[in-house]
Amino acid sequence: MTATKTDVSTMPTTNRPMNAGQSVADDASRLDGIAKVTGAAKYGRDKYPAGCLFAAFIRCPWGKAELVSHSADEVQKLPGVVEVNVSRKEGLYHGRDMGYICADSPLALKRAMEALRPVWKRGEVKTLIEDDIDKEPEPDVDTGKLLDAAPLKLEAIYSTACQTHSSLETHGCVVDHQGDSATVWASTQGTFSFRDGLGEALKLDAGQFEVKCEYIGGGFGSKLGGPGKEGLLAARLSQKLRKPVYVFCDRREEHLDTGNRPSSRTLVRLGVQRDGTIVGGQIQTWGGVGVARGGGGCTVPSNRYKLGQISKDHKDIAFNAGGPRAMRAPGHPQGSFAEELMLDEVATLAKIDPLDLRMRLASSVLQEQMRLGAKLIGWEDRKLTGSQTGVIRTGYGLGTASWGSAGSLAEAEVIIHRDGSVEARTGAQDIGTGYRTIMAIVAAEAIGVPVGIVRCSVGSSRLPSGPGSGGSITSPIMAPTMRMAAEDAREKLLAVVATAKKVELAALRIDAGEILLDAKAIMSFKDACGLLPSDAITGRNAGRKRAEERGHSNGVQFVKATVDTETGVIRVQRVIAIQSCGKVLCRKTAESQIIGGVIQGLSYAMFENRLLDRVTGAMVNPNFEWYRILGPNDMPHIEPVLWSKGQTKVCALGEPPVIPTAGALAAAVFNAIGAPVRSTPMSPDKVLAAVASGAKNERGAPAVNPPPNGKPENKKPGGGA
Amino acid sequence: MSDGVSRRSFLKTAGASAAAASLAQVAQAAIAPPEAGVPATPTLGPDATDVTLSVNGKPMKLRVDPATTLLSALRMECDLTGAKEVCDRASCGACSVIIDGRLVASCMMLALDAEGTKITTVEGLAKGDELDPLQLAFVKHDALQCGYCTPGLVVACRALLDKNPKPSLSQIKSGLSGNICRCGTYTNIFNAVLEASGQKPIADSAPV
Ligand code: FES
Ligand code: FES
Repeated sequence: MTATKTDVSTMPTTNRPMNAGQSVADDASRLDGIAKVTGAAKYGRDKYPAGCLFAAFIRCPWGKAELVSHSADEVQKLPGVVEVNVSRKEGLYHGRDMGYICADSPLALKRAMEALRPVWKRGEVKTLIEDDIDKEPEPDVDTGKLLDAAPLKLEAIYSTACQTHSSLETHGCVVDHQGDSATVWASTQGTFSFRDGLGEALKLDAGQFEVKCEYIGGGFGSKLGGPGKEGLLAARLSQKLRKPVYVFCDRREEHLDTGNRPSSRTLVRLGVQRDGTIVGGQIQTWGGVGVARGGGGCTVPSNRYKLGQISKDHKDIAFNAGGPRAMRAPGHPQGSFAEELMLDEVATLAKIDPLDLRMRLASSVLQEQMRLGAKLIGWEDRKLTGSQTGVIRTGYGLGTASWGSAGSLAEAEVIIHRDGSVEARTGAQDIGTGYRTIMAIVAAEAIGVPVGIVRCSVGSSRLPSGPGSGGSITSPIMAPTMRMAAEDAREKLLAVVATAKKVELAALRIDAGEILLDAKAIMSFKDACGLLPSDAITGRNAGRKRAEERGHSNGVQFVKATVDTETGVIRVQRVIAIQSCGKVLCRKTAESQIIGGVIQGLSYAMFENRLLDRVTGAMVNPNFEWYRILGPNDMPHIEPVLWSKGQTKVCALGEPPVIPTAGALAAAVFNAIGAPVRSTPMSPDKVLAAVASGAKNERGAPAVNPPPNGKPENKKPGGGA
Repeated sequence: MSDGVSRRSFLKTAGASAAAASLAQVAQAAIAPPEAGVPATPTLGPDATDVTLSVNGKPMKLRVDPATTLLSALRMECDLTGAKEVCDRASCGACSVIIDGRLVASCMMLALDAEGTKITTVEGLAKGDELDPLQLAFVKHDALQCGYCTPGLVVACRALLDKNPKPSLSQIKSGLSGNICRCGTYTNIFNAVLEASGQKPIADSAPV
């Protein structure tokens, strides 16, 4: 097989029999797969135009500090240094940009940074949500009465640590300003918002420059919302110096100043009947938003379960740390961690099976998905919570997810060339979701040709405009849009055929690459294209409104894990991830989205923690050694199950699979050891503390946990955030 | 940089900035006379130095600052941007290359130290138009999403299969444990490696 002859659109696999036949294109692999496995794919960070300058921000190294002095004047004289600019005196978080240096090579830039020798005066910092909580809030009068009247009560505090997006390609771009035009290679989830945010810095109109992002090395929400400070710096410098300027964060900067999933804390007081019915109660959540003004929402209750009369309140807490940005299902995994573990604790209180409890509380779709998942994971092998005594104990848990999607209108083009090739064009970007491939599949299906002949161009502000990749809206919006453009192109081609063959247009169709007249093949698609009077015809969706469509995605995940009660180490064995997402367009990329969500969810549950020093406010792990993400050795077997029953529209898929995983694992750990670990990351120390607190009676003893992320008695460096 | 200056961190930061007192001290320490009996190594830099690298079977004559890592030289001087800089400190595997049959994090090696070795990058795995079967198996099993970790993982898998043509699942996992993928492609990568080594991918449950 050769690279040029390989048709990646027909590569059948058989290892996921559950999903066979569930999508429009079961056997299609990613159209850009070969570019990615050969290293040919060029990301923004791979662009080094000739004569390129390199710039980076000077960063505040502490949670709060004043810049007392520095050697900018000497640095300016160093070889290779183009510009030094110190513009800020006080930094309120580790990683705050205080100015920048521009130099003619990465090494000159590095040396200049070292030589700047800034002297800082540190200030007092806050680093935790708990720094702002003196007393737990009391329930209101009505809720208090309801709780008093309930025969069973659960009172618990759940917390989740701050997670950084950790995209492998960092934030940044390369700008090449040539006077009255410019080219920008960006790593962004929003080609068009990046463009719109850059015009002023470039002193150019939107039509005068192009933002390109053919390949993006991950974003997960952090690369939405315009060019950011990195983009603006590159644009301003390139505009001023008339040279290409390269600005990409390094790993440390990426952890510090490009957003995160904020930490959360959830106080739950629930009243429960003896049969497990939840009558209601109080849920108070907090979000740790660092220096940001908001964005700390924690989605509990999720409204997927009937929890009775809940009085809910939320508060964002500011402290000395970089602020959050949207991260894959913002607010939801935090809330789900609390909600799913809480439900298992309620079930144990009421001495009922946690799956039965959820069956009573959830929608009928979720019930159906739960029944399937329980069968696949082997729920009948589950032991009673707290009943195991061995060193290695096995637990089962589950969690649920939901996500809505709404329609809006964008633009797309489909070009049919005289040589029989087809090009689908959309300026929106493929951040790894498979967008490029999905759009080709949609266009191919609408025209009636094999996917193999369709090329898809994405990721350029010169192409038809599309949405940013956020909120799982790209495919729900763009699939119908692209379909309309492809239908338009198909009709234009058929009109040419009808004229040439002197037949009725209405009697013509295209199927599997053949032109059919009254269902009989009369010529190939390629030959039909040869009839085109011009080089190509272009189909557009323009002017055609799509009906407002709303769809809903539902999912259930089951986790089986073992806990080593001597070391505190959790090993996840198996995850069943059932997910609906409307009509599945591409089986393989849909499965990958689900698997990826599960992996990020497990990583969140077990490892990830932005650790802030309690005294200095500095992040102590801005790297990949101590900021651990899940690696190959931590991997369980994951089975993505595409739920197709009753699915017609194209619905959300990016966000929902990341929601239930952490909560499902927490429930599994609780089931295994009989005491809940109520805070992420569920690290060995917390597991051991939970084991030590003991599951004395079979149905789970009241849990005594160390206060998650609790306020240490004396402030010592190295505390958690 | 107070104690224990590695050759790499020294070279990466030292050099032109004589203005910086702390660096000058480090430089002093580093150029202390060699102990008797230790053969003197030639002094390289601070000016750009010629180096010839053998990359994917081709000689590449470069002139680089001695502090340049192999990764930077490949990416910026050879236009081979398949290897990525993700962590710049050997904790992610995105910069993996094969040097004389060994898997190496190219961010941790100086370009000068790679002279005289045979370097294979991800760009060198396909023979002309013909992909390495491993690369095809990656595409087939969708063992990539954003693709940023992919070149490093393909190279790591190649190095594993060169040493162990039929690895078990746990051997695959530990063979790849120097690599990370944020999008979450691991299970599909395992299947790609199994398939490329003539073994069956791991099957999910049958429909119930
Ligand atoms: S960049 Fe070399 S190992 Fe991460
Ligand atoms: S595919 Fe995106 S990091 Fe691995």
